[in-house]
Amino acid sequence: MKRYILSTLFFLPLSFFLSRAAAQVGAPYIHDPSTIAECDGKYYTFGTGGGGLISEDGWSWHSGAERPGGGAAPDVLKIGDRYLVIYGATGGGLGGGHNGRILTMWNRSLDPKSPDFAYTTAVEVASSDGMEDCDAIDPCLLLDPTTGRLWTTYGTYFGAIRLIELDPQTGFRVAGNVEQDVAIDCEASDLIYRDGWYYLLGTHGTCCDGVNSTYNIVVGRSRSVTGPYLDNVGRDMLQGGGRMVITAGDRVCGPGHFGRTVIDDGVEVMSCHFEADFDRSGRSVLGIRPLIWRDGWPEAGERFKGGTFEIESARRGYSLELAVDFVRIQQERERFWDMDVTKPLKQISNQQLSDVVATWPQGEIAVRCSDYMMRPHQHWTITPVPEAGGFLGGPYCKITIAGTDRALAATANLELTAVPVFTGAPEQLWRIEQLTDGNFRLLPKAIPGREGINTRYVLYSAADSTPTLAEWDFATDNSKWHLRTPF
Amino acid sequence: MKKVFLLSLVLHSALLTSRLAAQNPVIRDQFTADPTARVFDGRLYLYPSHDIPVPEGARPNWFSMADYHVFSSEDLTTWQDHGVIVTQNAVPWGKPDAYSMWAPDCVRKNGRYYFYFPNAPKEGRGFAIGVAIADSPTGPFTCEPEPIRGVSGIDPCVLVDDDGSAYIYWSGMGIRGGKLKDNMLELDGELQEVQMPRREGAPEMPPMKVGGQQMEGLPDGFKEGPFAFKRGDWYYLTFPWVRGDTSKGDNPTETLAYAMSKSPLGPWTFKGIIMAEHENRCWTNHHSLVEYKGQWYLFYHHNAFSPGDDKRRSVCIDKVAFNADGTIQEVTPTRRGVGICPATMRLEVDRYGAAGKGVTTALNDTVNTFLGHHATLPHKGSWLTFADVDFSGLSDAYVMLRVKADENTELAIREKNAKGKVIARFKVTVKSEVTRPGAPAPFRRDQSGQWLTLTLPLDYAPKGIADIAVTCEDKAVSVDWIQFRNRPLYFTPVAKGAAPSQPDESGYIRRWRLMEPIKQDIRSNVIFTDSWLRKTFADELAKLPQRKAKWYTLESAGYNMKLFRFAEKYGSQLYGNLFWCETYIDCAEDIANVRLAAGSNGASMWWLNGEEVLLLEGDRRMVADDGVSSRLTLKKGRNTLRCAVINGPGLSDVCAHFIDEKGQPITNFQIQ
Repeated sequence: MKRYILSTLFFLPLSFFLSRAAAQVGAPYIHDPSTIAECDGKYYTFGTGGGGLISEDGWSWHSGAERPGGGAAPDVLKIGDRYLVIYGATGGGLGGGHNGRILTMWNRSLDPKSPDFAYTTAVEVASSDGMEDCDAIDPCLLLDPTTGRLWTTYGTYFGAIRLIELDPQTGFRVAGNVEQDVAIDCEASDLIYRDGWYYLLGTHGTCCDGVNSTYNIVVGRSRSVTGPYLDNVGRDMLQGGGRMVITAGDRVCGPGHFGRTVIDDGVEVMSCHFEADFDRSGRSVLGIRPLIWRDGWPEAGERFKGGTFEIESARRGYSLELAVDFVRIQQERERFWDMDVTKPLKQISNQQLSDVVATWPQGEIAVRCSDYMMRPHQHWTITPVPEAGGFLGGPYCKITIAGTDRALAATANLELTAVPVFTGAPEQLWRIEQLTDGNFRLLPKAIPGREGINTRYVLYSAADSTPTLAEWDFATDNSKWHLRTPF
Repeated sequence: MKKVFLLSLVLHSALLTSRLAAQNPVIRDQFTADPTARVFDGRLYLYPSHDIPVPEGARPNWFSMADYHVFSSEDLTTWQDHGVIVTQNAVPWGKPDAYSMWAPDCVRKNGRYYFYFPNAPKEGRGFAIGVAIADSPTGPFTCEPEPIRGVSGIDPCVLVDDDGSAYIYWSGMGIRGGKLKDNMLELDGELQEVQMPRREGAPEMPPMKVGGQQMEGLPDGFKEGPFAFKRGDWYYLTFPWVRGDTSKGDNPTETLAYAMSKSPLGPWTFKGIIMAEHENRCWTNHHSLVEYKGQWYLFYHHNAFSPGDDKRRSVCIDKVAFNADGTIQEVTPTRRGVGICPATMRLEVDRYGAAGKGVTTALNDTVNTFLGHHATLPHKGSWLTFADVDFSGLSDAYVMLRVKADENTELAIREKNAKGKVIARFKVTVKSEVTRPGAPAPFRRDQSGQWLTLTLPLDYAPKGIADIAVTCEDKAVSVDWIQFRNRPLYFTPVAKGAAPSQPDESGYIRRWRLMEPIKQDIRSNVIFTDSWLRKTFADELAKLPQRKAKWYTLESAGYNMKLFRFAEKYGSQLYGNLFWCETYIDCAEDIANVRLAAGSNGASMWWLNGEEVLLLEGDRRMVADDGVSSRLTLKKGRNTLRCAVINGPGLSDVCAHFIDEKGQPITNFQIQ
């Protein structure tokens, strides 16, 4: 919550943020979403004002999550078999005051329909008195994997972002812990740990001004959880430093309230809200983007929208293609030792689908990898299939040879084929995720003959020329692919 | 402290453990009873028993104690919990699930610490008394393998006399006492065979070997919990005592009583009461007396955090005084307790020393009773006082107040008494209605009946140690606590003729001449477009020579000058201000090819020697090196750097330094 809220949001009931969250795909209306939590196979995120969103698959979100206490910008973390929820009550300039309170409470389930669903009494772990250079709202949680210690940062543009330590057993403040300033002028801060570094993320800019909101998420990092958190030019976040993680783009603006979710080794997403979705009346919506790590810095990847690509193996750089006869392009050859340089130059056309399609077999066609030659049997159109549902952060897609309905499919024996017509069968649907190194992995939604949704087997280079399906392994380039725009 | 959490996890709030406060009860995050206070090397140590809720399977509605903590204090105001020192599972001779770790004692002899405690033995019934030994008053303590032979009972107390002789007193078939051997682990002298009275229906028991002797001269009636001490050449034997006669229909509870003698084991002369029965009929009381820093104190217990259950108790302290003849003046229990409270600690004013008519106290939370109490002042003129608050640590202070009301009201904090000088006067607004231009309906807020934390600068700060009063100035109001806080040092005024200031190691200019803020009607920062700023700044610059405003020369405590705090102190409103800032830079020679690097919250414009050099437009946050000027020359002699900062909401501040081609700070100049 921020300065602009004083003048605009002063009159709005808190339910404003939630009342428009409809129970359907693409209506994920929320402000300040907590880090996405998983409970019994469903995804949950809580927002400002109470309540939050639930998703069965991580792609279609609807209202229904329950969090009492109101207030601003919660976070949630699973510790053992319980969920610790932290939130800021009051403060945030709502009503003009800056005497905020940070509270924690536990729940054994996040599913309001579960018999285990019951919040413990919320316990205050930090506060601001209204006079000091801090407003105790917008808390986050980090359980340090190296020490098992539990940390929280909180605060907003009113002064400093502060760090405190909680007891991971109780959710209470560690006795005698003294709060410490780690940044200024941020909102909705978040702490994460990766590979020897602690990262402090904060939201800069102005919120709550619709399509004119300048909210953006920046990051600093430190070798110690207590800081100093420095940006990429060495500037301390206590002096306003920060490196951009995500800003406006792709018809949404005003990203705020970072949350990191690790899906798999090398597969991460970040959650946030966008202050305004230009395609949804400028409403505030949940955003989930791939999280890329570049030289030790987190950056948001692009939302995968599909398109036509060369699917290139990270192993050798060969291109995924139909196993069909190579059709030569006819060309008037000139001998290089006998070239007439005064002759006008000619353009040579790309090989067209129509030039070659008749030479392809009618039924299933095998798939292999080979030198990329800009040929139609190497060009794949990837298209989201809305009715097929999705996964955390994206919709399932079909992968068809450009200009045709011939679709890449998984086979029961963990190999690949290209079926003549896309039928919507789950083995023809693909989960495409950008990895932390910027490459992609591709998983079929299902393997014929195997129960449930596939989260294990990915498109894999068994050899330079031989794609197959094998277990995901971030450590090898065999698991990774480049999606290149052809031509 | 972690152990505290484990034991009373459900019951207390996280913040309380670090705030063991002065007021009665003194330990506010767990139950404590049967306090024995001892002074070792100038520090006061408190050895209480530790009541807990009755665990499943144990005798319901009964005492329940599984371990001992030790606490210590230098000032009787702030207490440190040193954690568990002995638990029932770790007593070699004890029953591990008896929950019978009743009143203990701890004494020092020859540099070692002997902790005496009752506990149920593995075999047989009743209680035995064991010893655990340590090299420090906080442990680690090691339990002796066997209890003291010949001591059958509870509530041990050991007196180490001036000549080094030690005597132990306990409660078992009346109050007994006996001399301890030099090893502190055995009774001196022969044990006697005593036939225990047989309970109806119980089998005949073999005679017991009992040491020591019955203390003679004590009054009839139930007695337990002996505490013996020496003052001058008088020995005192003090004890909880039930007076009154149940056969005459009395239903008495315990007093604290005492007897005196010229010898450690009596015979004793009964002298009367130290403390009368608890008014709320908390059945037990148990105590110790100790002299600390020239003052005698009575430690006792009461069930303040467990009003419905008098077997969950809490330790309290009050001062105690002696008459010339050595007799003890009766003590009236107070809520305020003892100790001088720093004004910066949480003053639980519901633990008042005195209060006007109608003032009541109640628990904040009847389930989590460790959240303490609050006081309700029922009408205009109601008051309470809270003694001995130390204001000497306050500099630039404000006060926080936790308060609750059903209607809008006012409350004052005063010095001394209900008619004293006002320290701060709070408007407690629980119902409000704000109409804003363009809003469809007024914004209404109703916080009646909710706890609110309010803050206010002080009208007046008392000096040194003072009593304070809280007075109700309008409708009924409830108060939980008051706490004074110092503001951080944001800046200091610079006296005329002061020595020049230097840029700091990062080159930041910390000395600024600031004009009192010019009020602006700005509700949000979105209007700070380039052309709006240019026009506003140009208009203000033109008006500047005519403005008869006050200027202040300040040295910032940090790299940035906190303009928000400047406005708070010297301006008429917090938000919506334009600030003029100037500084004079004296160079010994020309410094060429430097850039001004600045940051501001919100927008700002900068001039060097009258030339515009930088504009930071839009809704700016404080970012060091947010923008820089083109390359400049700081000329030999005086340079004037001026900036205007304009801000709507937000914590306005500003920073500036000069950097060279490589971004390194320029520091070879002086600032006037």
